[in-house]
Formats: sequence, structure tokens, C-alpha cells
Amino acid sequence: MSVLKQESIEKIVDTMTAVILKNEVYFCELDSAAGDGDFGMSLAKGFKELQKNKENLDRSDIGSYIRSCGDVIAENCGGASGPIWGGAFKAAGRYASGKASLTLTEFAEMLRSAAEGIQKRGGAKPGDKTLLDALFPTVEALEAAAKSGSDNIAAALKSGAEAAVKGAEATKSMIASRGRASYVGDRSLGFPDAGAQALGVIFTEIANADVI
Amino acid sequence: MKKIINSPENLVAEMCEGIAKAHPSLEFLPKYKIVKRKEINKNKVTLISGGGSGHEPAHAGFVGIGMLDAAVCGDVFASPSSVQVYNAIKATASDKGTLLIVKNYSGDCMNFDTAKEDAADDGLTVDSVYVNDDIAVKDSLYTIGRRGVAGTVFVHKIAGAAAEQGKSLAEVKAVAIKAISNVRSIGFALTSCTVPAKGTPTFEISGGDMEYGVGIHGEPGIARQPLETADKLAEKMTKALIADLKISSSAEIAVMVNGFGATPLQELYLFYNSVTKFLPTDIKVYKVFVGNYMTSIDMVGASLTFFKLDEELKKLLDEKSVTAAFK
Repeated sequence: MSVLKQESIEKIVDTMTAVILKNEVYFCELDSAAGDGDFGMSLAKGFKELQKNKENLDRSDIGSYIRSCGDVIAENCGGASGPIWGGAFKAAGRYASGKASLTLTEFAEMLRSAAEGIQKRGGAKPGDKTLLDALFPTVEALEAAAKSGSDNIAAALKSGAEAAVKGAEATKSMIASRGRASYVGDRSLGFPDAGAQALGVIFTEIANADVI
Repeated sequence: MKKIINSPENLVAEMCEGIAKAHPSLEFLPKYKIVKRKEINKNKVTLISGGGSGHEPAHAGFVGIGMLDAAVCGDVFASPSSVQVYNAIKATASDKGTLLIVKNYSGDCMNFDTAKEDAADDGLTVDSVYVNDDIAVKDSLYTIGRRGVAGTVFVHKIAGAAAEQGKSLAEVKAVAIKAISNVRSIGFALTSCTVPAKGTPTFEISGGDMEYGVGIHGEPGIARQPLETADKLAEKMTKALIADLKISSSAEIAVMVNGFGATPLQELYLFYNSVTKFLPTDIKVYKVFVGNYMTSIDMVGASLTFFKLDEELKKLLDEKSVTAAFK
């Protein structure tokens, strides 16, 4: 049975960092349609700092590694992104505490903890036009792959990425009720949620990267 | 983009340095981007506000006697982190406790709340209030509610005056909530603002159009419409505020005409003149503030705030305040 070793988890975080830095301007543009246009910048600020502190992260196990990433992100991402993305990493880190590798089932459960961490901090639920509308479908796709007995992690990551992209697409027909896009009411219709769309891009690149 | 800056990354820190140097009773803590009073009075409730930068003079311009003790400065239009807010709480801790005055935005609420919890774990007494004066935003169970805009300045003033009188944390919080429930604002913009790090306007708008019901971050308003005259706008906004505040006859109010950063004062005063034409004669204007208090960098536009007063609020509004931007 194949598992995700700590090395793979670190590669996933590195890929995520690279995608966020590469798409800083694009992610800001996504946020300009109904929000205030700073999402890409806020997010990149935290991950730039993560890249700078790469050598100082706690690597004693997967949980400590992800949690220490979360601390850097929470302190350095601007605006709402700090508590949301930092909180997600910290919740995932707590789940993976003491683990040296993750099965597909555990990886899915870890992402579920992250999603629930975001939900606890921000109070959003699925359908509110937030990044949760991409994250929960990804979690469900990974859980379904794990349940089917597959140990093909690369294939599961692909189906997770497709679910995120589809979830982000579906936010176009939702009216925002959280974050600054909620202030414009119906005018957020027709645009995807910036966070959900970004997750679609991030998971797609992770699935295409050679992380296993 | 044409801006008087050195680099977008250092804008907030260099601006705060400038504020502290221009106003010697203030000091700037660069590590956590906190502008605070040099002398912290441990025998009064301390008040902290803040949020994203780009709203100058808010909030550092309201730090001083009779208003705030510290302003925590985030990046342009982005909430400060919980670590920044936590350090502001520690740097201004008093025997009577600390009140956080938070504008109601997802990011600010999450970061200030996290800081409040962390400080409480350290045994510090901290409470918070959330300002939500913008009537452009629909307030319903399904949204995070209205956002905080220019009316926040009145909350700083009222809570600051009460704190300076030596009132308890519970009393200061109560009067801050009273101010919040009696203040309402509505704004409009003729142009977008340009966030320095992005370098281009946040939204595109054609020459003959305006955005009605905008916020203070270049986020779109509730409607795009052809540009209207000052009188037409003033009539619509005055009526909307009176209706939302349920101002009855013989009420007394304070009025704020707030520029968004790039509106000439001549237009702000002209606009106030228009407002007076549509105020019912039995509503008494107790005090008027015209100027730039809660800006949106270089946006052209303005907001109108009505603050319904009773005897207690009138007295507090008349108290002395010595700050860079509010007298």
C-alpha cells in the first residue's frame, strides 16, 4: 500500500508555495470582480515568508512540519487569509501530529480537519461562496478514492483537483455571504469565488507535479 | 500609477514613521506596526483600533488624549495579523482593561478575536465592539452584516472620552455600543482607488458613471449609475440615513461629510450645503465635521454619516481630544 511520506508532503507545500507566488496578480484580479482585489497579494505575502523560513521549519514529523508552516502563514498573510489559511494548516498539523507518513485515508481526513478548521474560524458553510466550496469537494473525492480501496495516490490527487475546479466553477452561480464579496450581494453572481478558484489552480498543479 | 513612495513594500512602515515623527506624543513600534501613545495611563481603560492601511488619517490619526491609545496598522486594505493586535494589547495593557474597536470585516473580526483570546489566556482583560454603520450593505442572518466605515471615528471619540473620564471597561463598552447603534453612513465614489502594490485602479469606471453605496476598499458598491448632482445625491442619502436611523422630529444629530481621499474640500463643503437643504427643519444639527477622516487612498467620492445624540453622547462628543486628525 503506497503512502505519502513526509518528503511528499513537503513537496506538496513547496508546489503550493510556487503556485501562489506565480499567480499573485491573477489571484488579485479574481478578487477585484466582487471583492477588494488584494487576495493574491495577502496570500503571497505569507507564502513568501514561508519560503524565506524554509530552513527553520520544525521537521520532526508531518504534524510539526505543517503546524510550523501554519504559524508562519498565520502571522504573515494579510487580512482574512492569515486566520483562514494559517488556521487550515494548524488544524491539519494537529491531525497529523506525530505521523511520519499518511495513507490516502489519512491524507483525506487531514484535509477534512483543515476544512473544518477554516469553518470554525470564519463561520462559513458550504454554499456561502467561499474556498470551502472547492475544498470540501476535494476532501470528498479523496475520501471516495480511499474508500474504493485504491492506493493510487497520484490518481486520487487528480480526482481531488478535478473536484476543486468543478467546485470553484459552481461558485459562479452562488451569492457571496461571507467576506467582502458579500457586500455587493447579487453583483457577485457570475464570478467565481477567488479563494475557491485559487484552490482549483493549486490542487491542479499539485496533481500535475511529481510529488509521490 | 504616480505615487510619492519609495517602494510599495515599505509604504506602511515609512508612513507610520512619518506620523510618529510629526507627532512627538506618539511612538511607532515597527516590528508589529503599532502607533501608540508614548505615555500609557494605567488607570484608564485603554482603547485599540486599527485595520488595513489606506484609510488615513484612520486610525493612527486618532491616537491621543481622549481617543485611542494605539492603532494597529495592517497592509493596505488588509487586516493586521492577530500577532500584531496581541502585541498592541500587551503594549497598552492597563489595570482597567482594554477595549478593541473593530470595524466589522471578516478579516479584522477573525484577527482581533484571535488576539483577544490569546491575551485573555495571558490573564489580560480585553473586550471588543464591532462597528457596522454602512447602510449600503444588507444586514441579514446570511451575511456577516454591515461593514464599518466613517462612523467608526465617532465611536473612537465617544469611547475615548468615556475612558479618559476613568469609567470602567463595562461602562466604556456600553457607551461604545450605544454610539454604534446610533451611527449610520452611506458613501459613493466617482473613481476607484489604486492600491500601490497593484498599481492599477481596483475597478474600471467610465467618465459619466458613479458607484453608489461603495465601501472604503475599492470594492464595488451596490449599484453603478450615471453621475448625479450634489443635491440629488444629498437628498437620496439624507433620506436613507434618516429612515434607517429612525430619526424622529426634534432629534439632535452630529453630521460627518467624509472625503475618500481625492475629493477637494470645496466639493465636500458644497455637498454639506446640499445635505442641509434636505434635513427636516425640526432635526437639530449639534455638530458638523467636514474633511478626510476615513479615506480609501486616492478614491474620489465621499460618505455621509449621521450620529443620533442624547445628552450623554453630546457631553462625550464635547470632551477634549488631542489627536492628529480629530479635535
